Amino acid sequence: MSDVYVDTVSRLSRVPGVRGAILVEAAGGVPVTAEVDASISPRAVAALAAALFQRTASVSTTAGLGRLRRFQLETAGGHVLMAGAGELILVVLVDDDGQLGMVRLETQRAAESLI
Amino acid sequence: MKTPAPADLQRWSEELARNPASLAFLPLARAHRRLSRRDVALKLTLQGLEAHPANVEAHALLALLYLEEGDRAKAADEWSIVLRLKPGNFEALRGMGFRHLEQNNIPKARQHLERAALIRPDDTAVQEALRLLRQREAALRARAADSAAPAETATAEPTGSAAHETEPWSPVEDPTPAAPATVPTPSTVTEPAPARPESVRGDDPEHAFDDLLQSGPVLGALLLDSRGLVLAGSFKGRAHADEIGAILGAAVDEAVRTVEYLSLGGWEGLILEFGSAVLHVRPIAGQGIAVLAAAPDAPMGWVLRATAGLAERAARMLEVPA
Repeated sequence: MSDVYVDTVSRLSRVPGVRGAILVEAAGGVPVTAEVDASISPRAVAALAAALFQRTASVSTTAGLGRLRRFQLETAGGHVLMAGAGELILVVLVDDDGQLGMVRLETQRAAESLI
Repeated sequence: MKTPAPADLQRWSEELARNPASLAFLPLARAHRRLSRRDVALKLTLQGLEAHPANVEAHALLALLYLEEGDRAKAADEWSIVLRLKPGNFEALRGMGFRHLEQNNIPKARQHLERAALIRPDDTAVQEALRLLRQREAALRARAADSAAPAETATAEPTGSAAHETEPWSPVEDPTPAAPATVPTPSTVTEPAPARPESVRGDDPEHAFDDLLQSGPVLGALLLDSRGLVLAGSFKGRAHADEIGAILGAAVDEAVRTVEYLSLGGWEGLILEFGSAVLHVRPIAGQGIAVLAAAPDAPMGWVLRATAGLAERAARMLEVPA
């Protein structure tokens, strides 16, 4: 596996407020590499996140919105950030009280470094 | 149904020529269908499904194309696939309900039509099919009563639905001359407009948030019902409110599943950052969805605050807490 992938996910998962990060192969919805808590299944998160991202991305062009770059799911218990990186999707799980501005910035940088 | 723009057709064709695995086959096939070029639409959809065999929209489109060709068996096959991929798909539930009713398979027709009616209670075709189904059930019950007690048939009341549910199903002639000769189909029914809450009716719902659109970064403001149908508001420029609603309805469904799986509590919003717009989506007390679209370079904090204001207004329109 590429060190770049592992390093990127490892660096992101150390950002304060980040609960875990997963790099997902978009077409198949399978994890490439992950650093998450043992209570979280990277395979399930990868499948769900890829479905969510791909489904939205697939129809966005039709509506004249352009390419989907990032997707943020806000919930009572935290946030899920997704950023497109070519054929990959970077998924970041963030605590409810995490510094979202910083996490968003780091996620975007990480995604761009993978393209 | 709007006519596709030649520029869009060209763009999708070029995209597909560059990348045969592109999802551009879908809007292109839909456009050809609208232009009554069903053979082209069919070919494009079948080719697209080779690269995207699990694409729900493609299977649903294929079902519609087969239906329009009069091949109801193939249409039903596609709806079955759609329901395996997305069990709550309204069009597929409705289509399968009609198909089973046409074949007089009453239990399966009921199962599909009742689920469809739960999703869209105001769909006239589904309601008409359920009415027909009830007439046929009543006839079956009467026939069962005739067989059980022929001497009492003149005054006997039907004794509930258990009889026809436990006896083997068998086709019967349509018992009621007043019933429609043919089962309604999706293609013969005009889609009704979404029911609007009382407080939204009577105004000009499309322009309900026009004042927000005067603000520089705002590209659109919408109030959707929980199914993604537009209740009020509009978008500036090329984006189409109905298509945005459809995208978001699907995205919210997937988001809720993700949130449930991760045990993250209720979903509180989505932020979708596209090349030409940022969309912020907020639920309104389970009754609706507020959507604010802003220019892609709008500060995110500003977008969040603007959406909060929109959600408050939308909640007042729906007469629910923000």
